[in-house]
Amino acid sequence: MAETIKLVDVTKCDGCRACMVSCKNWNDLPSEIEDFHGSYQSHEKITANTWNVLTFNEQERKDGGLDWLFRHSSCLHCTEAACEKACPESAISHTEFGSVVVDYDTCVGCGYCVQACAFDAINLATYVDKNGKEFRKAQKCTQCTDRLEEGLQPACATACHTGAIVYGDKDELLSSAEERLAQIKERYPNANIYNPQGIRGTNTVYILADKPTTYGLPENPKVALSQIVWKDYAQPIGKMMLGATTMAVIGSFIATSLNKKNDSSEGDQSHE
Amino acid sequence: MNKSGNKKTVKRFNLGFRISHWVNAAAFFVLYISALPMYTEFFDWLYPVFGGPAGARLVHRIAAVAFMLPLPIMIIFDWKGFSNWAKNIFSWKKHDLQFFPQFMREFFGMKAKVPKQDFFNAGEKVNSWLMIVTTIMLISSGLIMWFPQYFSYGIIMWAYPIHNIGLGLAAAVAIGHIYMSLVTAKPSMRGIIKGDVSEEYAKDHHGRWYDELQAAETKKKKHA
Repeated sequence: MAETIKLVDVTKCDGCRACMVSCKNWNDLPSEIEDFHGSYQSHEKITANTWNVLTFNEQERKDGGLDWLFRHSSCLHCTEAACEKACPESAISHTEFGSVVVDYDTCVGCGYCVQACAFDAINLATYVDKNGKEFRKAQKCTQCTDRLEEGLQPACATACHTGAIVYGDKDELLSSAEERLAQIKERYPNANIYNPQGIRGTNTVYILADKPTTYGLPENPKVALSQIVWKDYAQPIGKMMLGATTMAVIGSFIATSLNKKNDSSEGDQSHE
Repeated sequence: MNKSGNKKTVKRFNLGFRISHWVNAAAFFVLYISALPMYTEFFDWLYPVFGGPAGARLVHRIAAVAFMLPLPIMIIFDWKGFSNWAKNIFSWKKHDLQFFPQFMREFFGMKAKVPKQDFFNAGEKVNSWLMIVTTIMLISSGLIMWFPQYFSYGIIMWAYPIHNIGLGLAAAVAIGHIYMSLVTAKPSMRGIIKGDVSEEYAKDHHGRWYDELQAAETKKKKHA
């Protein structure tokens, strides 16, 4: 199967927020009513029940004019996903579509992924079971993996009426992104394609009108050294060490009892 | 062996020291058990025991608070025992270094000639240091993981491997410590439970301490 990605061209976005509505609708997520934050933006940030938020960023241009920068923000589905690496239960994985999904049955709601994500795209949702007990699960955009499996497009891409969100063949979309970038460079000199290579790219690629930091995105996210130390070394070595200590103790027990046995049998003989 | 009951004993640990030890042991055990299902899938069946992951998290946090108490308990209720311990673990002499090769022989049941040891033998000193280091690692990283809102991304991300490494070391140390107290140096258990040990044990395992006790006693007799 050819690789697919979601391409978000923020310069085509008109801020209608149909992506937000269609996401809530398809994924059956409850509405979250927030206070007025002082801008056109409806929600402050992505939450466990609001998987995508259209951000409205007011930027002054060099000529004194206003750039009203919109961005459909949601999980980027990193190729080297920090959330996946952080998960102690191995509940987070990549699908055949390149999307990163949470296995809700395995998730224990520890929140390690929430801390690890450099994009604040994954959060803990609190639920109440039938006995009234609270439990937590990590929740985030699935890139509508359930729709992809049926040959459909992600809900946000279907809803987007300006073609700012499209889903399709990776190579085709990446080359179209390059073309588009050349077109918009004149108006947006800082425009760039955001597909960070420090994490071997993302499955949601952006055409941004300004520097990533303007949109609150890290310039060059990397797999954290702490995660490598933790998951690739500390965890396996720690498990090995527990095994080694246990073996040493068992070895000592056997050797001690064997030696004692020899001693006592010798002792018996001398008493006879 | 020493089961006749009329053996002469000497005081080893005061009540404050013993309470401190057992609070530490109990807290460590509960922390270990409540975290085990998250550490390896093999122990996932422990989740229901705690009433699900949320229950395990609560238990882990209650035990975490208990885990921070032993040092204050020891300092407040047994300052003498604490300062003796502190002085002991900083003292490293020839007899301490000679301990290890002999100990390895003894550990595997061979004949060994261990030089006279202090109140804490060299192995116990190493155990103490490993325990101090791993406890600092576990408590500091644990607090960061508990209250991530007060720390920066980089610090939070380092807390996880440090907690993990601290656990691996601490568990290894604990297994060794428990095994030795149960199997190779059984009479020492009386010291940490009842507070006193037989004179014979003190002489055999902590010769230098025993000599100090004898010297103090003769001094007392002279003055009397």
